[in-house]
Amino acid sequence: MTFRVLDPTTEKAPPAGKLAPRLDTLEGKTIGFISNGKEGTKGFFRHLDQMLREEYGVAKVVSRTKSNYSAPADKHIVDEIKSWDAMVSGLGD
Amino acid sequence: MQLASKTYDANDISAVQELYHSSGWTDGLPIVPPTAEAVQACLEWAMMSPDQLIGIEPVRGLAITAEKLAINAVMAGCLPMHFPVVVTAWMAMMQDEFLMHGATASTGGCAVLVVLNGPIRLELGANGTFNALGNSDRATAVIGRAVRLCLINLMDVRPGVIDRSTLGHPGKYSYCLAEDEEDSSWLPLHEQRGVERAASAVTVMAAGAPRQLMNEWTTKPEEILETFAAEMRANLRHYSIHPGNYAIVVPKQLREHLQAGGWTKTKIAEFIHERARIHRREWAEVGKGAVVRDRGDSVYPAMESPDQLLVIAAGGPAGGFGAVIPPWLGNKSHAVTLPLGVCIDCEPPKS
Repeated sequence: MTFRVLDPTTEKAPPAGKLAPRLDTLEGKTIGFISNGKEGTKGFFRHLDQMLREEYGVAKVVSRTKSNYSAPADKHIVDEIKSWDAMVSGLGD
Repeated sequence: MQLASKTYDANDISAVQELYHSSGWTDGLPIVPPTAEAVQACLEWAMMSPDQLIGIEPVRGLAITAEKLAINAVMAGCLPMHFPVVVTAWMAMMQDEFLMHGATASTGGCAVLVVLNGPIRLELGANGTFNALGNSDRATAVIGRAVRLCLINLMDVRPGVIDRSTLGHPGKYSYCLAEDEEDSSWLPLHEQRGVERAASAVTVMAAGAPRQLMNEWTTKPEEILETFAAEMRANLRHYSIHPGNYAIVVPKQLREHLQAGGWTKTKIAEFIHERARIHRREWAEVGKGAVVRDRGDSVYPAMESPDQLLVIAAGGPAGGFGAVIPPWLGNKSHAVTLPLGVCIDCEPPKS
């Protein structure tokens, strides 16, 4: 007996985001961090902040932490992203 | 009724199984072949068109349609009469306060507990007595499994993909129970949560594994409930201090002592709310001294308020057992109760 069966998946890829233009240099740029707020993020972002400023000449680092580490970033943080040249999002488990 | 899903031809039942397993579309157990006829029967029973939108998953913008839920429900073993419960469970899971993405992706590894109330339990033969938290009956087995297969296939909640659970628990195969309303003087869960008693309802909760307890050596309500509270304190000490929706499952033997003493669900919740709390310093006794810091005297209750406790009457008639079902992670996800849709004098969708 043959079966004709149906695909159980959504079949459609979720709406894709678009990558921001790549930067030629980090010098003089503003970099944003979005942390999920877990313990492990603290040392990581502290070190990255120092590295970006001292070794790559980044002008400004803006650190933001989500109010709920299990949920998407808060709207006010997302709204702020467009004022940054690049961003780093980090998990801290 | 025209379905939109891609179709595959398989020569026999074994080929169907291999197609679905090898595509990553199962939970590892055999599935029922989702043929167009079986899927259409589910949709017709629920009077839903295939493209009816159940909701948009908020994090990745995935559209969840009735057709896709029905395909996964058939795979799980659902008959058409089970399908409206699966739809309602998914509608509840898609409420913002359930935080579906976080609850299903988290390393914490919770499952979706589904509790059935109202006349639908009897119509489906859902059994709230013997083995209530296990393989108690067909209806709860397939409804719970359908919820999981939908997560796997509609949201990529596959181990190592979206599902980042460190351990998970067996309830991730199926975690559904019916309340034993007939053998209880308590308000049913759905009525306590704002749904008319005569309606059927589904409650979903992002839940850890059940923690079984036993106290057969007293008939005093306070002592019985102290055992439940102690199990919750153990969870606060060993797992997570965050307050949120806890559920307790109270089988008949212990329930009769509580009911004989005039203890309602509200009174039980108030008592447990007072008793299920710990000091932060207690963490030092269980190897977590490093996070006590200077806040040892802070008190952490299991629930912020008594109404966060879900008291469920279920279980076989004998045995002084009970269970505490802890939340995934405190208040990050809230339990949601929704009534099953009813249709009075309405027409099925045109095919």
